[in-house]
Amino acid sequence: MQALDDCSFSVARGRTLGFLGPNGAGKTTAMRAIFGLVEPEAGELSWDGRPIGPEERLRFGYMPEERGLYPRMPVADQLEYFGRLHGMRAGAARAAASAWLERLGLGGRARARVEELSHGNQQRVQLAAALLHEPELLVLDEPFAGLDPIAVRTLAEVLRAEAARGAAVVFSSHQLDLVEDICEEVAIVDHGRIVATGDVGALRRRSRRRRIELELDGAPAAWLPGVPGVELVERRDGDLRLVADRDVDPERVLQEAERAARVVAFSYAPPSLAELFLELVDR
Amino acid sequence: MSGRQAIALVARRELRERLRSRAFLLSTVLMLALVGGSVALGRMVETERTYGVAVVAPAPSGLGSALQRAAAPFDARVRLRPVASAAAGREELAAKRVDALLLLRDDRLVFRSNVEARLAAIADTAVRALRRHLPPTAELATATLEPPDAEATDAATAVAYAGSLLLFMSLAVYGQWVLTGVVEEKNNRVVELVLSAVRPRHLLAGKVIGIGLLGLGQLALVAGLAASLLAAGAFDAPASLGGNLVLVVPWFALGFALYAVAYAAAGALAGTQQDASSVGQQVTYTMLAAYFLGYVAVAADAEGTLAHVLTVVPLSAPLVLPARSALVGVPLWEHALAVVLVLASIHALVRLAGRVYARGLLHTGPRLGVRAAWRTGQKT
Repeated sequence: MQALDDCSFSVARGRTLGFLGPNGAGKTTAMRAIFGLVEPEAGELSWDGRPIGPEERLRFGYMPEERGLYPRMPVADQLEYFGRLHGMRAGAARAAASAWLERLGLGGRARARVEELSHGNQQRVQLAAALLHEPELLVLDEPFAGLDPIAVRTLAEVLRAEAARGAAVVFSSHQLDLVEDICEEVAIVDHGRIVATGDVGALRRRSRRRRIELELDGAPAAWLPGVPGVELVERRDGDLRLVADRDVDPERVLQEAERAARVVAFSYAPPSLAELFLELVDR
Repeated sequence: MSGRQAIALVARRELRERLRSRAFLLSTVLMLALVGGSVALGRMVETERTYGVAVVAPAPSGLGSALQRAAAPFDARVRLRPVASAAAGREELAAKRVDALLLLRDDRLVFRSNVEARLAAIADTAVRALRRHLPPTAELATATLEPPDAEATDAATAVAYAGSLLLFMSLAVYGQWVLTGVVEEKNNRVVELVLSAVRPRHLLAGKVIGIGLLGLGQLALVAGLAASLLAAGAFDAPASLGGNLVLVVPWFALGFALYAVAYAAAGALAGTQQDASSVGQQVTYTMLAAYFLGYVAVAADAEGTLAHVLTVVPLSAPLVLPARSALVGVPLWEHALAVVLVLASIHALVRLAGRVYARGLLHTGPRLGVRAAWRTGQKT
């Protein structure tokens, strides 16, 4: 079975890359390949220009899609263990563990066993396990899945801080507004192939489509601008959402609208990341 | 970080986490109690015995009654058989008509081939009591007519079979620990995080070494207790057998390494806990077969061809060698060959299991065949 084919993307230190794709597109497989958990038949993975091997991986942090910790092991011991597995000295690992627990609001639970924690708190320990050793590359598989809005905000802050520290951050998510908010770059994968990669703004501008939003007052119920290359996406009360080819002149749409009704609001912009995503992985 | 450091970290975690568990403490206490209990039980089932003792005529008066008195606390009786001379006495002894020859003039108690500890104690007590009127007080020196023969004594047989049973049970119990440990790690998914930093064969090695050290410690404690009880004469058996019992410990290490790696691979291939027990059974049955084959072969003829072969075959060597060593003694070259072959098998099995392990650990769903896992497994 081939999960990935022609799947090239890169991320630089201090940058955050959103790794997007429909379910089953191969995101998890690609992330596992970074950690040698699956071995690609062809292609290469490199870090700082050198192939990624066991030594490099010790400087990476990973949060697998399938979360898991040792249930009966105390939280602090567990984090210390993972820190040491990444080559930290015992003292440094202990200090980092307690610092992260403090930062993630688990300062009082260091001696608790993981199975005694709530699901949300287990997620935080999992995050700490990925971050403890100050990784150069941070790979998180669906880190926002199942988090409440407060936890989402905390995690977004942590990821921004990690990038500011100089780490390269890669995470996958289906929450595209979040990705747009946090990431400078995205890689969109579909059927194991990268269909788009690069700066979010540039990708949006490069799209062949534009979104047009109209708020009209007093327009006929079924009114549409008679401009070729413009299609209706959604109509609600007097609000219309349209998608237009890039070469359609927005002025013409606006003029048509003004002829039919009073225009309260008009906007013209490249598609959002969510729209871009749907456009690219259209099935 | 070197592989050795990673292995040490994994092993340390296994040791620490398991030492915390009550189950380990309980099983240690239980095994120690079993060894202590067997001493008490041995005492209870010791049967009354009548010993025949030849003595050069004329026997001193009172010797017969002194012997009876000394024998009473041992639940034994002594039948005196006067003989004409020491030579005649040796003939009687050689012909198995008596158990020992008492040579009062030389202060010697002569046995045929093996010193009977109980009888030696009885005769010693009796003679000393008799001579209280005739100073200086003398003790008897024991001697044997022939060099200690190769034929096993009851005690050696007991040590041999108890030793290999102990080995078999320890291997099965600790092997099962490895199996469940692997399956747990796989089922609660922590293995993916661990493998992002540790190579599969290092995780495998650390796990086997950690649990193995624990088993070794427990077994050393139990075998050590048994050996010191032997040395203290608690079992009415030659103290030298304690050495054979201690042989169980290094062979546990070798046997465990071999079978635990197989258990670990089985755990990695299993999809679920139920699956794991059925895959684990295949390993257990293999070991059971090796154990029984060894038992039957050694019981039938400890010097037979089959027994010799099973002593060096890696699967059965750990279970057969200590037993044969207690029964008939095993030449050094056979020890060496067995060790070399077992080490070679461990090396090969670790390579095989490491590859299967890596593939199996991240595989969920139906059980993975060994062949499929090997084919798609990565070089670790």
